[in-house]
This record gives sequence, C-alpha cells and structure tokens, in this order.
Amino acid sequence: MKVTVKLIGPLIYEGGFSEKALTLPGPMTAGELSAYVKIDKKRPTIITRNGRAVANGDKIKDGDRVVISHIYSGG
Amino acid sequence: MKGWTGYILRVNLTDKTWKKESFTEEFAQKWVGGRGFAAKILFDELKPGIDPLGPENKLVVALGPISGIPAPNTGKAVVAAKSPLTGFYGDGNLGTHVASQLRKAGYDALIVEGAAAKPTLLYIEDEKVEFQSAEEVWGKGTFVTNEWIYARHPKSTGVLNIGQAGENKVLYSVIRSMEGRAAGRPGIGAVMGSKLLKAIVVKGTKTIPQERAEEMKTIGIEGLKKARELDQKSGWSKQSTDAVLAWCNEVNGLPVQNMRKTTHPEAFKVDGERLNDARIATYGCPNCTMHCGITIEDKEGHESELDYENIGMLGPNVNVFDLKQVGSLNYLCDDYGLDTISAGSVLGFYADAIERGATTGDFKFGDAEKGKALLGQIARREGKVGNLLADGTLRMGKAWGKDSVNYAMQVKGLEMAAYNCKSIPGQALAFGVAPIGGHHREAWIITFELKHSTRESYGPEKAAKVIELQRIRGGLFELLVACRFPWVEVGYELENYPRFFNAVTGLNWTLEDFWKTADRAYAMIKLHYLREFPNATRKDDYPPAVWFDKANADTEGAQKGVVLDYGKYDSMLQHYYDQRGYDQRGIPTKELLAKLGIQKEAAEVEKYAKLS
Repeated sequence: MKVTVKLIGPLIYEGGFSEKALTLPGPMTAGELSAYVKIDKKRPTIITRNGRAVANGDKIKDGDRVVISHIYSGG
Repeated sequence: MKGWTGYILRVNLTDKTWKKESFTEEFAQKWVGGRGFAAKILFDELKPGIDPLGPENKLVVALGPISGIPAPNTGKAVVAAKSPLTGFYGDGNLGTHVASQLRKAGYDALIVEGAAAKPTLLYIEDEKVEFQSAEEVWGKGTFVTNEWIYARHPKSTGVLNIGQAGENKVLYSVIRSMEGRAAGRPGIGAVMGSKLLKAIVVKGTKTIPQERAEEMKTIGIEGLKKARELDQKSGWSKQSTDAVLAWCNEVNGLPVQNMRKTTHPEAFKVDGERLNDARIATYGCPNCTMHCGITIEDKEGHESELDYENIGMLGPNVNVFDLKQVGSLNYLCDDYGLDTISAGSVLGFYADAIERGATTGDFKFGDAEKGKALLGQIARREGKVGNLLADGTLRMGKAWGKDSVNYAMQVKGLEMAAYNCKSIPGQALAFGVAPIGGHHREAWIITFELKHSTRESYGPEKAAKVIELQRIRGGLFELLVACRFPWVEVGYELENYPRFFNAVTGLNWTLEDFWKTADRAYAMIKLHYLREFPNATRKDDYPPAVWFDKANADTEGAQKGVVLDYGKYDSMLQHYYDQRGYDQRGIPTKELLAKLGIQKEAAEVEKYAKLS
C-alpha cells in the first residue's frame, strides 16, 4: 500500500523528514502509521487523511495523503 | 494593597501636567488590570461619539498584578483607546520593558490625555515626568526612533513608539516596542499620532509590591524553567507560530488571494520549515521562555522578524510566495508602524477589487514590488489611493460600492487574522464574536473543531469552546497581563497563574474567580459597543458575506463546494448568546450585568440605548 506522509512543525525533526511517499508493509491505522514514522506515541497530535481529521484507529487506504501535526492553538 | 502599586499616572499633553492618582482595592479586585483596567477607565472617562483622533480620546497603557514579575512570559503590557478603525473600545498587548519599568516607577497604568502642540517624547522616571521634544525623529520610522531612544537610555528602558503610519493617522497603525513587537491593531498607533506623541520612555527604580515576594520568586523561577523545558521538549520554537501555515494549507484554512482560496501549491515556500532554514536570529519579549520572533534577511538585506500572522497575510493572502519578499513587506510594516494583518488584508482586498472591477488600479496579486510601494503610500497617506487604503477594508469597500464590502475581510471594521474560515464554522464564530472585531487573540478553536467535534458542526459545543477560550485568552491573560503562549502552545499548566496572582496579592483566587472577572471585562467592552452603536444587531457578529457565498467555495479538494450556512451560523451564534447570557443582539442582559456587578455602567448605557 502506497501513501504520502507529511509531517508538520517539530514532527519534521522527530521523524527526520518533511514529506515522503511510503510503501507500507501492510494495512495500518492512522495511529500505527504515526508510530511507523517514529512519532512519539505520547506526543499529542492531530492526523488528517486527505484533508479530513481522523481518529488514531481509523484505517489508512492506498493512495492516501496523511498529515501528522503537533496540535496548534492559533498563537 | 499588595500585588498592585495602587497608583495610576495621569498625564495631560495639552497643558503638560501630570498627577499620581490612587485607586481602591475594590477597583483592583473588580478589574484586576490590563484589559480590565483599560475597559473600565475608558468607559468612565470617554463620552460616546467623541472623535477617536481628537484630543478628547485617551490612551491607556495598563499592566496587571504579574506584569514585569519574573515568571513565564510576563513582559507584556496592554495598550487601549477608542479605536479610530472600529469606532469603539480597541486594545492590544505587546512585549515590552514598559511592563516592568512602569510598575517599578510605581504605576499600574498610564492615562495619556489631550494633545501636544509639538512632537513629544513622554519621559517617565518614578515621580519625574518630562515632556521632551521628539521633533528630531518625527517623520522617522520605528527602527530609527528606537535607535535614537536607546542611544540615550539603557537597553532595559521601557519604550513605546510609533512610525509614520501612526503620525499620519493610518487607521490600523500600531504601537511598537523593541524590535518586532507591536500592538494596538485597531489604530491605537494613530491615537498616539493624533496626540503628537512619538514615544513613551519609562524607567522605574522601585520594588514592585508583592505580598509573598519570596514565594513568588521561587515559583516564578520554577515556572520559567518548566515553561522553557516544555518548549524544548515539544520543539515548538523550531518553527514558532509559522509551523501552522503548512497545516492550514493541508486542511483548507490558509488565507490565499484575499481569502478566495484556502490552499496553494507554493505555500511551502513560506512555511515554517523554510522560515527556520532562513533564520538569522531569534527574538523574544522580556521574561520570555519560548522566543517566537524569527528573523530573516529580507530582499533588501534588512533583518525582518516574522511570525505566522504576518507571513500568512502579507504572503499567501496577496499571493506572494517568496519568503524574502514577504520579509520586505513585513519590515516595511514594522518600520512604518502598520499592523501587518490589516495591511495584508488591505493589499489583498485592493487586488481583488481591481480584478472584479469594483475599482481601478495596476496592483495585481503576487506583485510584491508594487505592494511595497503601496505600503509607503498608505503610511504617508499619499494620493487618493494611499489615503483610502489607509482607512482599512470596511471603508474601502464602502467607498467602492458594487458589493465589494462583501469581500472586505473584516468584522466590526477590524481585519481578520490569517485563517480562512469559509468551511470552519466555529472559528468563523470566534472571529464574529471577538469583542474588539476580527481578532484571533480571543479564541482559536480550529484543531478542536477538527479533532473533538466535526468540522461541519454548528453545534453548542463550538460556542462553548469559544467562550472557554475567550475567558482564558482574552480574559485571564489580558487581565494579569501575560503572554498565553506557554499555556496555549506547549502545555504549561493554567493553574500556575492563580498561584502567581495569589502570591503577589495575598488573595486566594481560583480560575473560577478569573472567569467571572473575564466575563465582566467582556461585558464592559460590549457596553462600550452599544453606547457607541445604539442600533447594534446580531448581524454585527457575522463574518463577511463572501464566506457564505457558494460562488466562493473551493472548486477542488476536501472542502469542495463548502461555505458557511447563514441559518446554521445564526443558530450557532444564538448558542453563544444563550451560553453567555446575552440578548438577541449579542448584548449582555441587565440580569447578567447585575450578576457581574456592573449595574452602574448599565445605567449609564441606558442613557443612550436599550438594555434587555
């Protein structure tokens, strides 16, 4: 399954990349994908799939664009 | 009375007099400080209908019980006056040494009345007040003025000053302090300019009174360490506020092309990653634990301090995706003393109106060079265009007609900050009900909307969240006065703030006590509004019509075809009013005003308008 993952803000430095196409070893949920790209599970994040927020347990599908971000609060 | 100095300094520029006035403990506890003091003082002392740019208007600089005390991000001051942009109470907060110096001089607030006969620098040092000439720097920008002042005073001196925009009474000119710090979006800089007051310089030599000074010192230093640790752990300062730009672009919330679009393929060129890469220095306010000011070298080689709001509005909102050019536009705004949010909104609106035939001109989206020239014309009020653009988007739209006011991106005359909310109803509400006009400071609920509600909802949970955040962001932090960033961005616990307050005052307040005080300050600002606009309606709490216009919906992506719904927005607005205890017009009821202990102020308003 191929997906594009984009990290936002400090997660770029934690995950070691800003955006990349990944071939996943198998089906994954949003939370599993976050752990797969080495984002600390304890860190509060907001994950969107194709522009819409998803829960950690939601499944990722082939071709998805997944964005994982620190939770911002509008300065 | 500990925690407050107990004094206000009142200065009259017309007759060059000043006096030190005491205030009661009852006043202190009822209004706390900052926004609370400013809203109350201006309500009591200004008559409705006065010219905001006349000598009858007053400038208030107000501090709170923890202003200037060593603790997380307490180097903040509130500036306020009747706004020439919106026509009622306006305020803002900025990082400045004035926060500690004015309190060390023995004052919790400064009231400036009248108008000087010549350009003046107001110098305050404890019980010494001098009216010095500022003619040498009149007509100069804020950077030169700052250098001129600091060549004569130590770096720890508190300084507030204005640039050419304030001098020429641009309606969205700001007050500046140090490099990169600014406040008073609703034209508080113009109020200073109208008084020929170029700068305020403050030095204090006293000790700020504290009930339990040793305890405050201990918990304040612990707090500074903790807030710094939290920032370092989260990595927030790597990109500072601009990290949110890439996220807004992903979730269709970026202001692009006068907020016509919500995303742009070139947005990455001005995002937080690029900003961090271009960083040449980092700046923060006094007592700051998480410096948010990232400077870059702009196109002309100036050091320009950027954050999300100014990048969003001077970049994508005018289709400029060259970070150095955004830096140049920002530098000019800072030097002239223009509010960057409103300036970006004005430029975007001008280009949009030309494209749609509402007016004529040669400015196009993406033309940074012409944008720079326009900023100069605005700051100098040069020519017909410069003069009109200096008045802000609402007046521009009214002058041009042809329904252009529908896409003037403002609420109550104040341009909205850098979030495009045509498909984000809760944040649209937050802009609509922000008490001084379209400001993001009061409440920002976009991640809540996406993560803990549903984006499409117009339900009571969003109104409740707006109120919760207004009480914290526009209430607690604006009253104390301190920067909200340690709490809002890196999770420094809110409960620490009553601890600080209690240590300096000897009181025993909880957060609940602050919520009531915050509600009182908000109600006070609504009374200002009603007294100035007796025919106020709930429509005044609506965002611009273009956000409800199907023709303006995204044509692709996750939010394709989505815009705000009038009926549903109105219903969400009613949730907000019901939860707040406001009437159908969005005005606090007499019952609520009595509960908040401001019946006297209510009676004053009833001379001009009806209360329910």
